Amino acid sequence: MLRSLVSGFILAAAGSRANVTRTILSCAGITIGVGALILIVTGGDVGERFAKSFAESNAGVAATYTVDVYDESGGTLEDLDALEADLRRAGAQAVSINSMSEAQMRIGEEEVEHAYTTVVDAELGDIRRITLASGRWFDDSDTHSLAPVMVVNEGLAKQIGGDGRLQVGIEGQWKTVRVVGVVEDSAMDGGSASAYLLRAPASAPLVFPDGAVPSTGTGFSVRADPEGADADAYRERLVTSASRWSSFDEDSISAYRIDPGDEINTVLTYLSLGLGGIALITLSTGMLGVLNVGLVTVRERRRELATYRALGATSFGLFIIVVTEAVVVSVVAGVVALLFCYTAVGIGGALVADYLPSDVGVYVPAQAVLVGLGSAALAGLLAGVIPAWRALRTSVVSGLRE
Amino acid sequence: MPLNSPRHAAAPAGTRPATGAAPGPLPAAHTAPHGAPLPAAHTAPHPAPHPAPRQPLLRVEGLHKGFSVDGETIRVLHECSFAVGRGEVVAIVGQSGSGKSTLLNLLGLLDEADGGTHVFDGVDVTGLREHRRARLRGDRIGFVFQQFHLLERRTAVANVCVPMVLGGVPLLRRRAVARELLESVGLGHRLGSKPHQLSGGEQQRVALARALSRDPALILADEPTGALDAESSELIMNQLLRQASDRGAAVIVVTHDPAVAARADRSITIVEGYTRDG
Ligand SMILES: Nc1ncnc2c1ncn2[C@@H]1O[C@H](COP(=O)(O)OP(=O)(O)OP(=O)(O)O)[C@@H](O)[C@H]1O
Ligand SMILES: [Mg+2]
Repeated sequence: MLRSLVSGFILAAAGSRANVTRTILSCAGITIGVGALILIVTGGDVGERFAKSFAESNAGVAATYTVDVYDESGGTLEDLDALEADLRRAGAQAVSINSMSEAQMRIGEEEVEHAYTTVVDAELGDIRRITLASGRWFDDSDTHSLAPVMVVNEGLAKQIGGDGRLQVGIEGQWKTVRVVGVVEDSAMDGGSASAYLLRAPASAPLVFPDGAVPSTGTGFSVRADPEGADADAYRERLVTSASRWSSFDEDSISAYRIDPGDEINTVLTYLSLGLGGIALITLSTGMLGVLNVGLVTVRERRRELATYRALGATSFGLFIIVVTEAVVVSVVAGVVALLFCYTAVGIGGALVADYLPSDVGVYVPAQAVLVGLGSAALAGLLAGVIPAWRALRTSVVSGLRE
Repeated sequence: MPLNSPRHAAAPAGTRPATGAAPGPLPAAHTAPHGAPLPAAHTAPHPAPHPAPRQPLLRVEGLHKGFSVDGETIRVLHECSFAVGRGEVVAIVGQSGSGKSTLLNLLGLLDEADGGTHVFDGVDVTGLREHRRARLRGDRIGFVFQQFHLLERRTAVANVCVPMVLGGVPLLRRRAVARELLESVGLGHRLGSKPHQLSGGEQQRVALARALSRDPALILADEPTGALDAESSELIMNQLLRQASDRGAAVIVVTHDPAVAARADRSITIVEGYTRDG
């Protein structure tokens, strides 16, 4: 048994080395199949991380409740602090009340066009993934700043330039802004200028001249314990709180929970099932290649195997020789595919790097390596078993007569 | 296991230099100050005694074999009965197509007879399971095929090594043995050549070296001198005879060459599917 195993391995290694053409031919199909598989898993992985990053930047991390208000009756949020306290009592870990501001921005004398300003709380940094290109996010001390404090996107930062002075204002009343950080442009910005304005005493008169937050474009982001109680009940609670401290029509308030991971995963599962199917088909074709080579060069192959048998190889030993050879060939092909994929992903990653958030790296993930090499080995195993079985079915003498 | 028998290490001086495995004295040629010629290979100083008495290693009785061609069974061998003892050299002669190779395939356990008795090395091999047959082939029988059946893309050394790999002989030892055997058949300078780079006669000699590599109890050679000139033929026959005399191997040689047959202890002729002595 052990003797068959050892001799099988030795002869398989010698066989693979000796039959370079056969080896290369077999490799091609497997390489393509495994390469496709690795690229698909890699693509899925990058896509998943990109989608997660995108969702977390624009909506929030897991277990974020978002409350949207679509009130057309002109209601306002009257007691912001009371609402916030109420939400915290309800178990919110982080609360940010976000609203679109009507305020305009200008740089020097020049108004910034197509810019939008979102008024937020510092805690939004705990709710969304904020990827900073430079500087920092808001902190508590910014609340006491005498000047309005902003975090701008890269598009706006570029417009401000090195020593430009950014001002924010409404109805001709301008106030100079202190910019503390620059966030990376996200695909959502569409290249336009945007800014987060910290909700603070210094900015309130500017953006909410009437003292109350209007309904237009208002929403709250609330992060609660993901293990927390019944999501439906909690949503009810959020709606009740919101209507208690505002004059919004209760029907215009909607609350929902976001779990970007979950939703994306469902989408990606379907996607990767489809792509995985394609990869498997490719791989099977590659396997047929190995099989083909195992069977098609049969004349020589059968004689070779019959010779092994004539010289004392047992069925088991022969099986080991053929299967090992196929597995070795396939795994070598898999490694070649892996190298190709590393190169391709490296080049591809460099090309798309500008379009991706900096925290979404493009690389071949470990699971892609595992899946790739694993399926290569499996393909080899399957492709080896059949020729081995066929070789054993014929008699030694007829094998030698081939 | 017979694979590590002392043969290769303790070969008579001059015929096969010891290859480091045994600390025996260097062959005289290596120590002779004036490059004295090697002692003639075939006049080894201590001719090994014939193993006496000759026990039959192989016995067949009423062995028959046919092939079915287009649904019709053609009997090639009707009745083969003979015995071959250890250390005995037997020539099998007969017309082309008389069934010499077929008989050799049966004796080499490569094919199964349709009926009859076949005892090899004390084991009744008729109906023996393929697993056991394979082991016997590898461990006890050396085969020189009429068509050589060398592995096409392997070097001479690698080819000679195959049975030893299958027999679990360690790497260094099998390399040494292979080199030594190839040298003994005059191919010391072609160790790395592949079969397609060798002449028919050279391939024949590689095949012989491979057959001897595990020191088999039974050597079956199908026209081992068919592709050789008189000199090489002589060399091969000497090798086979020595294997019988020194190692006690039973040697069965199929041949058309009367000179070869004459050097055997006796001949068996196949006539119309029957074996006859002489
Ligand atoms: N597998 C087979 N199927 C059908 N017929 C076969 C088979 N093997 C051998 N024969 C036939 O058996 C007969 C004997 O063949 P074999 O090869 O044993 O002859 P041989 O005595 O070795 O001849 P040669 O001296 O030419 O080598 C031939 O007629 C051959 O056609
Ligand atoms: Mg023949």
